[in-house]
Amino acid sequence: MRTKKLVSILVLVLILGFAYFSYTTALTNFTLSDQNNSYLGGIKFHRAAAGLEEGVEIAKIENKPIMMYFWAIWCQYCARFQTDTLGNPKVKKILEEDYVLVAMDLDIDREVAQQYGVSYPPYLVFMDPNRNVLDRVPGAVEPDYLLPIVTKVKETVRGK
Amino acid sequence: MIPLGDILLYSTLVVSAIALIGLLLKDFKNIDQFDKLIIPSIILGAGLLTASYILLAYYFVTGDYSFDYVWQYSSIDLPLVYKISGTWAGQPGTYLLWVLVVYLSAAWLAWTTKHSTALSRRTQIITLLTGIYLIILTLVQTPFRLIIERPEVAELISSGELTAGFVPADGNGLNALLVNFWMTVHPPLMFIGYATMTIPFAAAIVYLFTKEDGWEELGRQWTRFTWLFLGMGIAVGGVWAYLVLGWGGFWAWDPVETASFIPWLTLTGFMHAAALHRKDKSTFSIAAPVLAAVSFILVLYAAIVVRSGLFNSVHAFGDTNTGTLLIIFIGIITFVSIVLGMRRYLEEPDKVEEDRGFWNKTNVFYVTLLLFVVLAFISFWGISFPAFIQLTQGLKVGVASDTKNFFNLWSYPFTIILLLALGFCLSYNEKNKEEQKKTLFIVMGLSIIAMFLRTENFYVLDHSSPFWVREPPIYKIIGNISVISLFPSLIYATWATAQRLKDFLKIKSIRPRIKGIGIAIVHFGVVFIIFGAVISSNFTQSIEAGSIPLSSIGEKVNIGNGYDIKLINFSTRSLSEGVPAAGIRISDINANPSKFINNNVKVSGRVAEVENVQTPPSFTTYMKLDDASGASLWVATQADSPLDVRTGMDITVDGFMMTEFWSNSTQKTYPLIIFTGPEGINGAAPVSGKYKVQSIQLEVYKDNSRIGSGTAEYLDSQTGSGTFPLVDSSITGTDVYVIFQGLSGGSAPLTLKIIPAVNFAWIGVVFFALGIILIMAMRSKS
Repeated sequence: MRTKKLVSILVLVLILGFAYFSYTTALTNFTLSDQNNSYLGGIKFHRAAAGLEEGVEIAKIENKPIMMYFWAIWCQYCARFQTDTLGNPKVKKILEEDYVLVAMDLDIDREVAQQYGVSYPPYLVFMDPNRNVLDRVPGAVEPDYLLPIVTKVKETVRGK
Repeated sequence: MIPLGDILLYSTLVVSAIALIGLLLKDFKNIDQFDKLIIPSIILGAGLLTASYILLAYYFVTGDYSFDYVWQYSSIDLPLVYKISGTWAGQPGTYLLWVLVVYLSAAWLAWTTKHSTALSRRTQIITLLTGIYLIILTLVQTPFRLIIERPEVAELISSGELTAGFVPADGNGLNALLVNFWMTVHPPLMFIGYATMTIPFAAAIVYLFTKEDGWEELGRQWTRFTWLFLGMGIAVGGVWAYLVLGWGGFWAWDPVETASFIPWLTLTGFMHAAALHRKDKSTFSIAAPVLAAVSFILVLYAAIVVRSGLFNSVHAFGDTNTGTLLIIFIGIITFVSIVLGMRRYLEEPDKVEEDRGFWNKTNVFYVTLLLFVVLAFISFWGISFPAFIQLTQGLKVGVASDTKNFFNLWSYPFTIILLLALGFCLSYNEKNKEEQKKTLFIVMGLSIIAMFLRTENFYVLDHSSPFWVREPPIYKIIGNISVISLFPSLIYATWATAQRLKDFLKIKSIRPRIKGIGIAIVHFGVVFIIFGAVISSNFTQSIEAGSIPLSSIGEKVNIGNGYDIKLINFSTRSLSEGVPAAGIRISDINANPSKFINNNVKVSGRVAEVENVQTPPSFTTYMKLDDASGASLWVATQADSPLDVRTGMDITVDGFMMTEFWSNSTQKTYPLIIFTGPEGINGAAPVSGKYKVQSIQLEVYKDNSRIGSGTAEYLDSQTGSGTFPLVDSSITGTDVYVIFQGLSGGSAPLTLKIIPAVNFAWIGVVFFALGIILIMAMRSKS
């Protein structure tokens, strides 16, 4: 009986320690701050439905295609997609120079996602300034796959 | 008017109340006038719920879109199985399924025990209370809500845009990812598992309350049944996620799948506690019932995780108001369990027994229980505290750079200890204790040494991956443990199980022998699952094949690393053939027009003629609709811009029918014409294309020998898309896995994955099922 009690208390202490430690660790190390785009591969995006309106205006003025990126904090494929594919130097260069970028958090911007028929992240929707959908890229594709699409959409809208 | 389905639910409430009052009177006042009513009422309740479920299924099959739930999760062109599985596609239906199974259990309990003992009566009281609560939950969010009660529809009706008897022509359709075989099995398995947990829980609560003996026996088969269904539900969910891209493989620590895994863990703990408790009533006399209660509480918690909307998951059920009701329910039960558990703990006399040292069976079993609790807690905490932080501080946090890091790294060491305990317990023999201790210590030592062995890939978690950035040192230390450390304990567990199996095979009488075989099979299953899961997640090789042009069909295309892909064929199809017409047949209207004139009608047909005329400030479109028999009538609709309808389209029209209508703009008289707004026309996009499937047939070669072949599919629909990879298994347990993300510009974007050992996990799952079924079949009659 004594041993059982001792073991129980030891386990309880360990559990509480673990709980406390992981809790504070998450708060200090893994806060997913949305404002500074740190979660989005360090690329600047317009955000949410209002961001889309803003983006469309800019796209019209600058005659740029719009890329809407649907993501979610819990999406594990997005993490790698952001660093490797969107963050790929060639892709990133085109995106930052020739695109208006809009990011949609699937958990928050549900209406936009529904409107564009997006049900899971990551998902890219390419549009011209008049909101005509030009292409869709579902899933965490590799940069080799995305690069030609990004280039093609850019050329469609901006000319060669 | 209250819909028939709701009437059935209310009636169930009434009969349950009768049964409950009867039972309470009998128990507290010893009045037995109502005795005769109790069992029939409970069985009637189960019957009423069965009827309501059949009714719901009937609405789905016949496509009665006057019901919101049916509209939301079904559509005309779905094949029959998916119309039926639509009944459990959303929360209202799953509640109904849940409560139905609770009542079937209650009926079974009533029928088998006849309420002859106080224990069975009291267990029935708790079961009924649970059932009643769940019916109320179902009613709050009833699947029988009419579409006209939907806020946005009600608004249109009050503004006069829709008539009060509005019925949509077609349903919203099932999410493309749910149009899948696994959808027909995964949810029912889960919810039947949730529901059958009720009786072991009820019996445990009664036991904590009154110390009634026999509680464990009463709930024993139910526990095994729950374990089987919950376990299979989780496993089938894993298979499903494995076969659909974007769900992170067979196990992604998604909050919802994790939430159903937690009660399964504590339930497994409970079964181990019960195994000793049934032999000696004083062993685990508190731990066993408390674990049963905890398992039930965690089942409810899983339901909250699914429904609260706080947990971000691929199971996007969305927010609901029933979440609060569930939280209240959980609060009550947790409170009762804690109070009862504490009371029993304080009452329990401190056992004075001779000190048998730490190394006896009870103690090692106790450690096993604790390990299940610890593993359950890791999962529980990992999904819960981010939600808690979000709720209290409004901050979104992750548990690690990559969610799965957290769960994998914390669970891993305890899994090894669990395997060691498994090995020790199964090889345990009072006489040879010293020798077994020595074996255990050797294996422990080997495990610890193996933790430091290094090869390129052998980490619990690859800490060099981009997922592994801001973890604190202790995470990195555990993350650095080599996966080789798994093998000593794995081999030890296998050996011990084999030893045990040998002993079981020597048993003379047949029932205990078969039961022993069942126990051994389940434990072999553990070894297989852990091996398959750990190896496959650590050694998957991924090769980006890029876009392979369709023009290369029949030729091998090198994709690097010695792999070639040969496309065999590409095809597209629609999930369902032909479109059954919604509404009234045009030929029927023509045969007897007077019945329909000046009424709302709904018809389907193919557009034969279109005439757009300007009727400032708007446009009017006149369309001639044909049905299959050649009968036709006209439809007119006004809109701000010309309607995009072309001849040849299949549409469904819902509107007001008039006769002999003279139009100034077209200078024609229309004998029969339906007027409607643009929203009354459905399927302006061809309806038959609602679920389109692209299939690509291909073969995969490694060093010029074929290693896999099959079909990868991509499903596209208005409600989203789904990617169903090719999965070709081989005898060695390695899967060839090819992802096809839909045709783009004449080429097929493909990704090849070589996934080793994953089939071992599936074999382990089959072992689990087989073993527990043997155990259930050989139940000892006492």
